[in-house]
Amino acid sequence: MTSEISRGVLVSTFLRSFLIQGSWNYHTMLGAGFAFAMLPGLRRLFGNDGSAMRASLDRHLEHFNAHPYMSTLALGAALRLEAEGSDADTVRRFKSAVRGPLGGLGDTLVWATWLPSMSVAGLALLWLGVPGWLAAVAFLVAYNLGHLWLRVWAFRAGLREGRDVGRRLGRTDLMGWATRLRGITALLVGLLAGAVLAGRGGLSDAGPLWGALATAAFVGGLLAGHHAWRPAAVAVVGVVALLAAWGLAA
Amino acid sequence: MDILLATLLGGLLALDATSVGQFMVSRPLVAGAVVGWALGDPATGITVGAVLELYLLVSFPTGGSRFPEGATATVVAVATAAGSEAAGALPLAVAVGLVWGQVGGFSITALRLLNNRLVPEPGDRFPGPRRVAALHLAAILLDFARGAAVTLVGAWIGRAVLTAAGSTWPLSRTGSLGLMLVGAAVSVGILLRDLGGFRRRRVLFTGGLALGILGARLL
Repeated sequence: MTSEISRGVLVSTFLRSFLIQGSWNYHTMLGAGFAFAMLPGLRRLFGNDGSAMRASLDRHLEHFNAHPYMSTLALGAALRLEAEGSDADTVRRFKSAVRGPLGGLGDTLVWATWLPSMSVAGLALLWLGVPGWLAAVAFLVAYNLGHLWLRVWAFRAGLREGRDVGRRLGRTDLMGWATRLRGITALLVGLLAGAVLAGRGGLSDAGPLWGALATAAFVGGLLAGHHAWRPAAVAVVGVVALLAAWGLAA
Repeated sequence: MDILLATLLGGLLALDATSVGQFMVSRPLVAGAVVGWALGDPATGITVGAVLELYLLVSFPTGGSRFPEGATATVVAVATAAGSEAAGALPLAVAVGLVWGQVGGFSITALRLLNNRLVPEPGDRFPGPRRVAALHLAAILLDFARGAAVTLVGAWIGRAVLTAAGSTWPLSRTGSLGLMLVGAAVSVGILLRDLGGFRRRRVLFTGGLALGILGARLL
């Protein structure tokens, strides 16, 4: 890594990555957020050269999208490319090449695996009798350990590897971790279902009818997948509205 | 006063979901506890948050898709139910929260469309580093205002609904919770499907189920 980028600039860029989705839009998606995060580095590298600054800022305002946590990888690598004096096409091609994989990998690893696993674990703790505030804190701490580790790892990998960061991604086998974690999450889903069925304040208190209906609803969700979510939510709201109207009329 | 506090919290928690950090303070499990504590009714906050977390287990802020906004939904639901002794407080609050989650999702889409006009793009007249930073931060401020406005209206409507129908609610507290958990069970089923389905995960799922039942009986 070039010595032109100081530790302060790296820290500032990394901290700005937490705001990368702040101006999410349908034209450039993370484009403005990416440029915002790159600003400390660009100021350092091109502060006295107006035309170079303009050209560099312009290319980082271009369309970019990725999972927000994994975007630090692209930020680190782009910072390195700029510091090495790479030409505009190289920077553009790199960002264009990584945005799809970083989005897909982050969505699979974080949104579809890590978040639900920690969420289910927190809920299971709650239904097993752990105080609610403690379950919430446990969720928050455990989730963010993974979240912050991923952001830091990705940023450092991007800085270290530059345009070759794809090879590093391949060696790390993040998808393999996701696959193993999904098995553990299935166990946690069972744990949660058991705790809600048998725990205090759960379905056993509500009575067997509610337990049977909940089991049927669970099977419905299992069979229909995401298509079932909205109709189920609409049905719950509809039943609540009908019961409320019935109570008012009685 | 409670509604103003809820409005402020709604704006702040809405930021966490996409614009700032994504530390998941905005997830209903955490947001419910925070808002319940702030409004002086932590037990209600935790219950409402846990039920909404179950519903939103399979809802994530993925890319450009429209998703129910858990943060404002939770703040609105907790603000609706907090401090109420009515049997209908939980189901009415959760129902209002579910509806308001969709309203929040639409408002996010509207803000993103507004951002299309606001943020600088390549090829624009050179906006300069300061202008890029200022517009980006302005978009974050707008997201805060959006979350706060959505929460304010939702909390006001929620309170009105609870005042009108809370005391005449026909189900008991346990029956009401049962009704809420039936709807939430759909999300748990969807999640297991996402994880590979029952056939592939039957050993782990069934093992967990047995542990859960045992744990709930023993603890």
